[in-house]
Amino acid sequence: MITQQIPWVQVFRDSGKEEPQLLPNEAVQDMAQDVTYFCPFIGALSGTVLVTNYRLFFRCMDREPAFVLDLPLGVVSRVEKIGGASNRGDVSYGLVCKDMRNLRFAHKQMEDTLRKSIFEVLVKFAFPVSNGLQIYAFEYGQVFPENGWKVYDALSEYKRQGIPNESWRITKVNDHYEVCDTYPSTLAVPVNIPDEELKRVAAFRAKGRIPVLSWIHPESQATVTRCSQPMVGVNGKRSKEDEKYLQAIMDANAQSHKLFIFDARPSVNAAANKMKGGGYESEDAYQNAELVFLDIHNIHVMRESLRKLKDVVYPNIEDSHWLSNLESTHWLEHIKLILAGALRIADKVESGKTSVVVHCSDGWDRTGQLTSLAMLMLDGYYRTIRGFEVLLEKEWLSFGHRFQLRLGHGDKNHTDADRSPVFIQFIDCVWQLTRQFPAAFEFNEYFLVTILDHLYSCLFGTFLCNSEQQRLKEEIPKRTVSLWSYVNSQLEEFTNPMYVNYSNHVLFPVVSLRHLELWVGYYIRWNPRMRPQEPVHQRHKELLAKRAELQKRVDELQREVTNRSASSSSERTGSPTRSITPVQTFV
Amino acid sequence: MFSVKPTKPTFRSYLPPVQTDVKKTIESPPKKVEPKLLQGEIVVNEVNFVRKCLSADSSQEGLWGKLICTNFKVSFIPTDPPSEQKSHLSHLLLGLHDIPLTCLEQVVTVNDTKGKKKVLGSNQKLKFNPTELILYCKDLRIIRFCFVEAGPESAKKVCLAIAHYSHPADLPLLFGFEYQGRRYHDSKGQRVNDRGGLRTPIFDRPSDWDREIKRTGASEWRVCSINENYAISPSLPEHIVVPVSLADQDLKQNSIYFMNQRIPVWCWNHPNGSALVRMASIADPLQQRRIDQRFIPAITKSHPQRSEVIRSDLDKCLPNIQDLQSAFIKIRHICVIDSFEESEERWLSSIENTRWLEYVRAFLKHSAEMVYLLDGKNTSVILQEEEDRDLNCVVSSLVQLMLDPHYRSLVGFQSLVQKEWVMAGHRFLDRCNHLKKNDKDESPLFMLFLDCVWQVMNQYPAAFEFTETYLTVLSDSMWIPLFSTFLFNSPKQRAQYLMDFAKNKAIPQGEDQLVYFPPVWDWSQQYSTADQTLFNNPMFVGKGAACVQNGEVKTFRRTKKTYSATVRGTHASLRNGQKGGEDSLARRGSLLSELKPDFSLVKDESPSERFFRDWFSRPADQQSLLIPLLIPSHLALWKLYFLRWVPEACIFKGGPITAYHKLSQLVDEIEILQSHLRQYKGTRESGSTQLPGLSGPFSSQRRMYFKASSLQDPPSPPDFLTSSFPFTPSGNLCRRSTYGTPISKFLNGARIWLSTETLDNDPL
Repeated sequence: MITQQIPWVQVFRDSGKEEPQLLPNEAVQDMAQDVTYFCPFIGALSGTVLVTNYRLFFRCMDREPAFVLDLPLGVVSRVEKIGGASNRGDVSYGLVCKDMRNLRFAHKQMEDTLRKSIFEVLVKFAFPVSNGLQIYAFEYGQVFPENGWKVYDALSEYKRQGIPNESWRITKVNDHYEVCDTYPSTLAVPVNIPDEELKRVAAFRAKGRIPVLSWIHPESQATVTRCSQPMVGVNGKRSKEDEKYLQAIMDANAQSHKLFIFDARPSVNAAANKMKGGGYESEDAYQNAELVFLDIHNIHVMRESLRKLKDVVYPNIEDSHWLSNLESTHWLEHIKLILAGALRIADKVESGKTSVVVHCSDGWDRTGQLTSLAMLMLDGYYRTIRGFEVLLEKEWLSFGHRFQLRLGHGDKNHTDADRSPVFIQFIDCVWQLTRQFPAAFEFNEYFLVTILDHLYSCLFGTFLCNSEQQRLKEEIPKRTVSLWSYVNSQLEEFTNPMYVNYSNHVLFPVVSLRHLELWVGYYIRWNPRMRPQEPVHQRHKELLAKRAELQKRVDELQREVTNRSASSSSERTGSPTRSITPVQTFV
Repeated sequence: MFSVKPTKPTFRSYLPPVQTDVKKTIESPPKKVEPKLLQGEIVVNEVNFVRKCLSADSSQEGLWGKLICTNFKVSFIPTDPPSEQKSHLSHLLLGLHDIPLTCLEQVVTVNDTKGKKKVLGSNQKLKFNPTELILYCKDLRIIRFCFVEAGPESAKKVCLAIAHYSHPADLPLLFGFEYQGRRYHDSKGQRVNDRGGLRTPIFDRPSDWDREIKRTGASEWRVCSINENYAISPSLPEHIVVPVSLADQDLKQNSIYFMNQRIPVWCWNHPNGSALVRMASIADPLQQRRIDQRFIPAITKSHPQRSEVIRSDLDKCLPNIQDLQSAFIKIRHICVIDSFEESEERWLSSIENTRWLEYVRAFLKHSAEMVYLLDGKNTSVILQEEEDRDLNCVVSSLVQLMLDPHYRSLVGFQSLVQKEWVMAGHRFLDRCNHLKKNDKDESPLFMLFLDCVWQVMNQYPAAFEFTETYLTVLSDSMWIPLFSTFLFNSPKQRAQYLMDFAKNKAIPQGEDQLVYFPPVWDWSQQYSTADQTLFNNPMFVGKGAACVQNGEVKTFRRTKKTYSATVRGTHASLRNGQKGGEDSLARRGSLLSELKPDFSLVKDESPSERFFRDWFSRPADQQSLLIPLLIPSHLALWKLYFLRWVPEACIFKGGPITAYHKLSQLVDEIEILQSHLRQYKGTRESGSTQLPGLSGPFSSQRRMYFKASSLQDPPSPPDFLTSSFPFTPSGNLCRRSTYGTPISKFLNGARIWLSTETLDNDPL
């Protein structure tokens, strides 16, 4: 097989190996023997620990097969020395990870008191940003056959959607991020709003995040636009320009004389924002607009919910009260509200042929979740692997979801209130959609897990920084490798063999707890009792291989028979060499 | 053959032809308002201008037509049937709007203007004219009819007739007795008298048992016929399997000490020699020692390694039949009776509170423990239950399903049900409560078993030859009183009733019961050959199926030795009777005691846990032992069964069926290619120089419901693909939820005051 000749493919598969296969520019920083790892499933294991500038590697040779733990330091959220030295002179360390697990190690008290514990060394490399070091992604430098940084080009994506057209234009007003430093440089806006007015609208929208086009319906021209909250404040400030602007968005769609504004927040939170100068559009000021609150909670609530979920699933699930414990985390309830919001947006656009404006407070967390999920439901292109990459690059990365802040890459400040699993929650929602529509997505579950793994690993540059502007400044595309380079160089791994490319299929999921499930393949994957279920698509792959094999044999035999009949019966000239279609049609 | 051309039928067949010809149906638009009646079926009462509600909320939507009560079913015939009513699974004996009387759980009449409701029983009076009739069905449907435009008296009469006829006074009054009698005589002469071509062993004669003994290599066990004519036990089958070392006389003498005289009987043998045995409790505890001394050594002796015997008393460790019934009522309530929004509120904890999934898990878990004993520990196991007719059926069949891939084939599964349920004397009549006489005996044990099977299937989708549609259809068949399978409490009862039946219907003596009263396993009674392909799982990895590893196509090695436990030798360390597992965690040092609670301790691992962990650490061979994952997070609600009628829960153009659709098409393509290949090979061998006219397999031989298509993918998935497929929620779940007290509250106590008159304080 080809994979064996390509070193980088091996790199990610070596968890079963006893020696870590070091990546380019990865260097061992420290090593310690006789370290105990307390595996919550197997028990105490004694072995060797290796720390590099990228990973922690633990190996226990006492077992058959050898036990190996190999984790990128990027997943470490917090390292803590636990308790004092015990009577046996051991010191122990706990590692809290961002990917739903906790690890615990111990080793003998150093005899040489000047020598640092390996876990102190680990702290240094786990939090490079806090220690004035470089994130490993900048050192990695692996060359892939595909260049993932070329996946997304704003202009071609707008072109794919048919923009510019008679109602929408591309503006360069934000070319140097002057109007809005958290927005991309390329924006699509209504044709009849000149750039000067855009700037005045920006003054009325939080952080200058004006309403811009995310997606346009190819037939009805109904649009999904996104923005931040209007700066209404306690006094109910209004902006003529903003009102005119929303009217222009509505007018751009001849099918409907209404505009829906979806405010992702609970109405109470939206109202509370008035105290800070923000707020929401009053229906008096915006005629023909209807405002709907979607009741999705803020980043702090989500962080707390995932923390509770971790308590419930790691390391072990209690035998009793599983469902009520799960319910008490509210995680699925939040997932439900997000999906319900996205469904309402998709339904308004598809069935109501009505344009929608989506915002929350700043328009970079909940707004991105909602627009990208609605777009996944509405547009089959985003359900392909490349389309999904484009969706992430566009709605999340270019529109300034603050990845660095939400994830805290390389930052030791684990209590930072800006951290929140907004993106994980979005990927979970996508997984829920794939569960309800198993044939509608070109990618498989492994693709989604891989994205989440490298969200933290800091191996690729994709999820570094907070905005397009920052990424440009840091020269991320030049200095790091894109996750899509890795993914697109081995698409087969991430392909769902069940995928049917229905060109015109809008997904209307059932947003009910009856169908929403906990994503066990992600959240419970550390539990060795959780052997992945015999996946349907694995069987499908086998069948595809069998079909190919049979097709080959049929073709061979067909050639053989054709040759024979041609040579032995030259008298029957012009005997039609029926070309046999691979499969006959039966409907 | 005595007639060349088909004889003109002497009766009018109301059965739709098996092979439906599309053209014919188009030519004759079905505009008749006449019921389709089976042989022997008569109309009891009918009422016109009835509106059948089609959805729960809008009281406007509905279908107008005639409501009929026959001695078999409640039938609704729309005056103007909607043209597009293609149901994907069309029952040959029941129409889209038909409900067998046996399928009725509760008949509720309502008068909205007077604010009255009544649950109707047999032979009752109704003091008000009903404006609505709500039928709660055992297959979880809720059907609602509105009488606003109908004649009040006729409406009342139909309601009373439905209530009356759904409470038959005696078993032979169930319609199956009438129907099968007529059918027997009507179709006489056309039949090949060979058990109706049934491939499923019935276990009513020694040869079926003999074959099973041979198949499993149980050489130390023999078929014993002491119970011929049910001479010993009224509920055991006539032929049972016992240790070779026990003589008939011995068995007879000791049988009196067991409840129902149900002595230990053999169920199944592991290739390593351990046996699965089931028995009833010992009636007189003083005889315990005596019995133990007789039977246990005999079972040990039948083990090639003389391995020990372990007895598991299921009454002590599993929920009882009342627990199960109450859990089922609750879960059914949450799934179909409570309003969707109401139950959405705290869905997860509500499901948990029903305890249904907990019980499903308990049975699977206990069965897995038995699997460990038989496979991992190489000991024989005796399942003991007071009567040996309920919990033993569930556990014994689940154990065999996990251990023996034969039972995961369609015929194997049916033979398992036949062996461990029907012939073992599971009281289907009482547990199904077909006569609605004794609610306290009603219990959904078979349903529980099917749910357990589904859980395993859900985790190992390639391990079963059949689909969840098959399991669902099988569960529905329990409520159609036409098959001998689910009608009786024991083989003896069946023999008695069928003897009387044969006498009454002038069926010649010596005729095979299976011929004149067939079991459910003859699926052609209910579904066309084409529809039966919905039972076939495209993913099934049968013997010799290809498997791909690292891109190479390999063939599954299927030898007898794939029961790998014999090679593993785990039992060696356990044979001394010592507890194993100490070695694995011996050196957990003092450090552990310091751990903070969030680093929870590793629990002591029991030998069976270790066995499971070992098993799970290796790739599963679908054609060998299968153990389901039993972490609570891995047990799921069986959505097709519980939610198929719920319109709000129906995913349009989605659900697992979309994967099934794609897979079926792929497998069909593979089968066409295989057929081509055979034809080419035939050409080559015969030396023919002509190109074979490539034809696919005959459509009647094609195994897949969805056929291959070389056309481009259509723009969107076909409309019929919904998560309820092949069922449709439309018109099948019309709970009353719009106003007043939810009917659910009303029905909560319904079982207790089944025939209380009205609810005066029920505000409407």
